Amino acid sequence: MNQDSLYEQSADTYGSSLDRLARAYEFDPEVRRDLLQEIHFQLWRSFAHFDGRCSLRTWVYRVAHNVATGHVVRQRRIRGRLVSIETIEAMPDSNDQGELAVTQAEALDRLSMLMQRLKPLDRQIIVSYLEGMDASSIGELTGLSPANIAMKVHRIKNILKRWFVEGGHHAK
Amino acid sequence: MPSDFPMKDPQEIWQNQPTEPLKMSANELRHKAIERQSKARSEALSTIIIGIILCVVFAWSFARAHELLARMAWALLSVCMIYAAYHAYKWIWPGNLPEEAPISTCLEFYRRELERQRDYPRRWWRSGLPFLTLLGVVMAAVGTGARNAPPHPLLNSLPFLVVLAIWIVAFLILRKKQGPKILQREIEELRAFERENR
Repeated sequence: MNQDSLYEQSADTYGSSLDRLARAYEFDPEVRRDLLQEIHFQLWRSFAHFDGRCSLRTWVYRVAHNVATGHVVRQRRIRGRLVSIETIEAMPDSNDQGELAVTQAEALDRLSMLMQRLKPLDRQIIVSYLEGMDASSIGELTGLSPANIAMKVHRIKNILKRWFVEGGHHAK
Repeated sequence: MPSDFPMKDPQEIWQNQPTEPLKMSANELRHKAIERQSKARSEALSTIIIGIILCVVFAWSFARAHELLARMAWALLSVCMIYAAYHAYKWIWPGNLPEEAPISTCLEFYRRELERQRDYPRRWWRSGLPFLTLLGVVMAAVGTGARNAPPHPLLNSLPFLVVLAIWIVAFLILRKKQGPKILQREIEELRAFERENR
C-alpha cells in the first residue's frame, strides 16, 4: 500500500476518533480545526515511512497524540497549569455544591474540561480509555507498562464516577 | 441529591458524540506540503537577505569609522547580523514532526519535546548573541559619541542605555533560570517513569 492509500484507509477508519482526539487537546473550535488538519497532514507525511512494525491503529494514534502533544507543549502558559490524574483524584470533593450533568452535551463538556486540565501523558491514557482501548494497547501506544496503565485507568474511573455520578466542584 | 444523570458509560458518551471527520485528498495534502515548503523558503530567504543587508551596512560603517572603539563595534554588529541570519534560517524552517515520532512512544516523544524546549533558550544564550549585539550597540554609541565632540546626543543617553541593558540582561537571566527548572523537574519525572516501565 502506498502513502496515499494508507492515509485514505486511516482517515476512513479513524476519522471520527481523530476528531474526538483533537477535542481532548483543544477547546477552541477554530484552533481545533487547525490542529486536526495538522494531525491529518502529519499522518499523511508519516505514511511515507510506514514499515508495518506496529499496527496501523497504533501508528495512527501515536502520530495523532504526538502532534497534539507538541501543540500542548508549545502553549507554555497553559502547560504550566496542567496536572496529573493523581492530583485530580486527590482533590477533595464538595458534593453539596456539585451539580449533575443532565444532558449528553453537559457530560461531554465536563469530559472535555477534565481532559484540558490533564498533562499530555495522562490525557493520552484517558482518551485511549474512552476510545475503548485495552491496557496492553494503551501501553503499546504510550510506553507505560500494562500494570501502570491499569492503575491509571482505575483512577480515571474513580474520577469519572465522581464527576458524573456524584457531581463535585471539579466540574464547575 | 439523587442522580438523574444517565451514567451509562463515559466511554459510550465519548464515542457517541457528534463528530465532523476530516478527510483531505492526496492533492490537497501535496499542495499543503508544497505551500509550506515555499513559505518557509521565502521566509528563510528574506531573513538571510535582511541579515546580509544589515551586515553590509555595518561593515560599511566599519570602513568609514576612525575610532578604534567604533570600528570594533561595527565589526561586532556586522558579525552578529550574519550569525543571527544563519540561526533564524534554521528556526524558521517548518516544524515537521520528527521522523521517529510514529515509532517512538508517546512518553518518549513528550520527554523529547520538553527537552527540546528546555534546550532552545540554552542554545540561544550559549551563542551570546543578544549580549554581543547589545555590547556592539553600546560600543557604537560611545565610539560615535567620542568622535562627535561636543557630546553627541547618543552619548547623553548612554547612562540610560547602560541601565536598560543591565535591566534586560537581568530579566532574561532570571527568566532563563526559572523556566528550565520546572521543565527539568518534569523531564526527570518522565525519565523515572520510563525506567520504571521498561
